[in-house]
Amino acid sequence: MFELIKIKTENLSFSYNGNRILDNVSLEFREKTITAIVGPSGIGKSTFLLTLNRLWETVPQSSMSGRVKIRFDGKMQDIYGNGMSLTGLRRKVGMVFQAPNPLPMSIFKNIAFPLKLAGIKDRRTIDENVERALQQAGLWMEVKDRLNDSGLHLSGGQQQRLCIARALVLQPEVLLLDEPTSSLDDASAAVIEELLVNLKDNCTLIVVSHYFDQVKRIADTVFQFPYNGISQQ
Amino acid sequence: MNRFFEIFFVIWSWLSALCLVGAVAAILGFLCVKGFPALNVELIFGNTEPLSALLLQKQVFDGLFPAIVGTLCLVVLSVLLAVPLGVAAGIYMAEYAVGYVKTCCDFLFDILAGIPSIVIGLFGFTLAVFLHKNFSDQVYPCFLISSISLAFLVLPYIVRSTQISLEEIDPAIRNTALALGASRLQNIIHVLLPRALGGICSGVILAIGRCAEDTAVIMLTGAVAIAGIPRSILGQYEALPFYIFYISSQYADQAELMRGYGASLILIMLCTLLFLVAFLVRKRIAYQAFYKA
Ligand SMILES: Nc1ncnc2c1ncn2[C@@H]1O[C@H](COP(=O)(O)OP(=O)(O)O)[C@@H](O)[C@H]1O
Ligand SMILES: [Mg+2]
Repeated sequence: MFELIKIKTENLSFSYNGNRILDNVSLEFREKTITAIVGPSGIGKSTFLLTLNRLWETVPQSSMSGRVKIRFDGKMQDIYGNGMSLTGLRRKVGMVFQAPNPLPMSIFKNIAFPLKLAGIKDRRTIDENVERALQQAGLWMEVKDRLNDSGLHLSGGQQQRLCIARALVLQPEVLLLDEPTSSLDDASAAVIEELLVNLKDNCTLIVVSHYFDQVKRIADTVFQFPYNGISQQ
Repeated sequence: MNRFFEIFFVIWSWLSALCLVGAVAAILGFLCVKGFPALNVELIFGNTEPLSALLLQKQVFDGLFPAIVGTLCLVVLSVLLAVPLGVAAGIYMAEYAVGYVKTCCDFLFDILAGIPSIVIGLFGFTLAVFLHKNFSDQVYPCFLISSISLAFLVLPYIVRSTQISLEEIDPAIRNTALALGASRLQNIIHVLLPRALGGICSGVILAIGRCAEDTAVIMLTGAVAIAGIPRSILGQYEALPFYIFYISSQYADQAELMRGYGASLILIMLCTLLFLVAFLVRKRIAYQAFYKA
């Protein structure tokens, strides 16, 4: 089966305060697959994800070298290149964090928030996109009657799916998930795993996980950190 | 030994708290006992009909009404001047300033916070003299100069409270909106400022208290014993703390001193009222920021 490369890192190195966390990482991620990144904690898995949407740039005294290229509009583009808009990049490369982080506003407003940030004002577009995102995140049936309740009143698993829906509402091409189920119970985690597999059709997913069995069930490719040039497929 | 120390420490903490509460209660109690008997309509409005005084139809000559209005206006204008400036400077310090510039500004704000109010008053007075000489001989120490000086006095509170409450925000919350494609400014407006509102509000409340209470600044910049209701921001005005200072330093009889106590009580009630307003405004803004818009 022929698959395009969606993301490619070339000699990526990263350090905080001069401590080298990533050393010459060169990896390729295939389009519309799930890639898992596993490894002990503190090894730089989260940091690696942050280099893919440039979110590390807010951390003082951090530095990166090497290249990250992502295929947008059919062309591999350097995301640290001059023509790349930071906000535009982060709209196409969504991210879900380890701890669910809904904002203190209603469920609807939470999902619509990225649309608002992107300057989308048309009511119909917003409603449609919010519903689609909630459907994709498997949350629509559970919350459709209480969209105006606070997002903070949902259960942990629901909150995490809310965050996934929020990341999906702008229809990103890449979705980064940093241990998305590690703060949840098994049942909620299973729901999210299944959901991730369904998202593959639209999106390239990279999931950081420290559960090997979870990874076996859902991932097409597994990269073991610390990265040493060997990967299991 | 250790156990004794623990018991000692608990008792010590208790006593300290008790002392503080006791002191506040003593001051308030003293003021109430002395001030309440003096507190009546005549103290505020003198011989003038209250309604026509409130509607500004008649001047009040021998009551506190002009001083109350003066203090109220002074607080409002000073805080209105200081808040936009202070919040913006706080945002700059927390979110944009780095390295050398930040260290420098930090140092300067510390200095500003440490300037005694009498010096700020002198600055205001000098400003008035300067303007009088160089721009227009219509300019004297006045309401506007006082407000500007007071705004300077309270600016550090607002800058610091804004800066600190922004800096305290968890990095995870900082990244939430950024990861969703927010620009830096959008992140500040939609996520960080609403979070910091509580802290900023505490700073504003401190500022209100300081503006209402300060005497040194206004003494040098335009407060006088008799001026009536402030009619223009370029005119002189009356203010409660100045009245209290003035009456207690040169009262002729016991009755006048009692008026001073009455004025103190009114000043405290005025502050309480302003604090309440600040709290309500804060609740309203927080609601607007997160749930509406
Ligand atoms: N903001 C930061 N500032 C300084 N050091 C950090 C920061 N974030 C992470 N680190 C350090 O970088 C290393 C890798 O962290 P991380 O990428 O979070 O690892 P993982 O996700 O694999 O557990 C850790 O040793 C951590 O202490
Ligand atoms: Mg991590």
